[in-house]
Amino acid sequence: MHFLSREATVAKAGFNRWLVPPAAIAVHMCIGEVYGFSVFNVPLTQAGAGWTIPQVGWIYSIALFMLGMSAAVFGKWVERSGPRKTMVVSAACFCGGLLISALGVKLKMLWLLYLGYGFTGGIGLGLGYISPVSTLIKWFPDRPGMATGMAIMGFGGGALIGAPLGVKLMEHFKSATSIGVAEAFIAMAGLYAVSMLFGAFIVRVPAEGWKPEGWEPKEHVKPMVTNANVAVDVAWKTPQFWCLWVVLCMNVSAGIGILGQASKMCSDMFGVSAAVGGGFAGLLSIFNMGGRFVWSSVSDYTGRKSVYCIYFLLGAILYCAVPWTQQIQGKVALVAVTAIIITMYGGGFATIPAYLRDLFGSYQVGAIHGRLITAWSVAALIGPSLVNYISTAKIAAGVPKAEAYNSTMFLMAGLLGIGLIANLLVRPVNPKYHLKETPKT
Amino acid sequence: MKALALAIAWTWIALPLGWGVYQSVQKAMPLFTGEAKPAAPSRQVP
Repeated sequence: MHFLSREATVAKAGFNRWLVPPAAIAVHMCIGEVYGFSVFNVPLTQAGAGWTIPQVGWIYSIALFMLGMSAAVFGKWVERSGPRKTMVVSAACFCGGLLISALGVKLKMLWLLYLGYGFTGGIGLGLGYISPVSTLIKWFPDRPGMATGMAIMGFGGGALIGAPLGVKLMEHFKSATSIGVAEAFIAMAGLYAVSMLFGAFIVRVPAEGWKPEGWEPKEHVKPMVTNANVAVDVAWKTPQFWCLWVVLCMNVSAGIGILGQASKMCSDMFGVSAAVGGGFAGLLSIFNMGGRFVWSSVSDYTGRKSVYCIYFLLGAILYCAVPWTQQIQGKVALVAVTAIIITMYGGGFATIPAYLRDLFGSYQVGAIHGRLITAWSVAALIGPSLVNYISTAKIAAGVPKAEAYNSTMFLMAGLLGIGLIANLLVRPVNPKYHLKETPKT
Repeated sequence: MKALALAIAWTWIALPLGWGVYQSVQKAMPLFTGEAKPAAPSRQVP
């Protein structure tokens, strides 16, 4: 198994570093399928096993929970093992999870779907998500934001591919005796395995001491960017880690609150059909993907702290503008406002690895990122629940459907305000936490 | 050879991502072309 080891992936002299981003994207665009898993919800309730939507909904929730947990628990192992082995294990877990789920559909055993897509697939998601982060940062020390932004853009793009692919495969395999879900899972497992293994095959880590031609690390770095390194077990005990945890949690809670409810929100606010609402959600997914690359690239020039201040300040203003778009019945205005909000939601995800690198160095940045991702798991519970609970309560209290989301938007702006405060509290890490000597990887 | 490897690697990811974007744009078209039912009247904020 030497082929999978970190040593086997060390690039030879003259290797083109631009081969690494496609390796990362090839993995991320597969595991990003989780965002599009909802296309299977209704078909699964028609599988003849009597499953309900809330029961089926747990598959997605378990997968997202396991994403956060596995990224946090296995982060150090990922750093030790290198990107290739991690990508292969991620592919085995994610695609294996799809196969177990296919078996669950065939045998009409829901627990197999929880175990398959939820538990096993969720571990694959977590490993795959953090696998290329530190590798990309080491290949692109001159532009770490852009590099990680590209990979995480792939995750956003995964939803754009996964949802229509799932629908088309189910249509293709549908027959008198099958709803096509199990067959779709098997086909997706095969397709995704090929793409993820392609990523694992082409990924390389830079040789010790490698740096881009003509680039020298600055002696006097910016105050918020360190040349030192902090170990993951120390990093997560610093106030900076927890400030960034709150930053990510608030940014994601606010964004996911809109993204998860986009279709219904658009229908309720403007009285449009479900198809139009679905189109709105699809459009936001494109901006979610684009924002990941654009904003994280911008952060290489503005600095991470400044770009998060933009996310939070501009985001809060735009959230407060959403009720106005409903009042003027401006569909295009709603699209414009929410599109910018969602670019910053994606940007928040994509900029965080570079922010961590700035504060804690690149030594175990993937593992630190893994632990920070628990903020995402928490946000995935907070955001949609807040929007659901408040809008439902408002409608029950007699507020017209079209206006039921107003107070939620102001609340989301408040969450961004909390994120802004946490971001402003971020200071350089105390040098006492720095490693005296960085161990060789 | 290096250029070919780069071209293959980027095409590998660009094709599915491009397909995904195309599918989403198609899905989004009714947002601009579809007819909206009239929404409930807006309550004036005092």
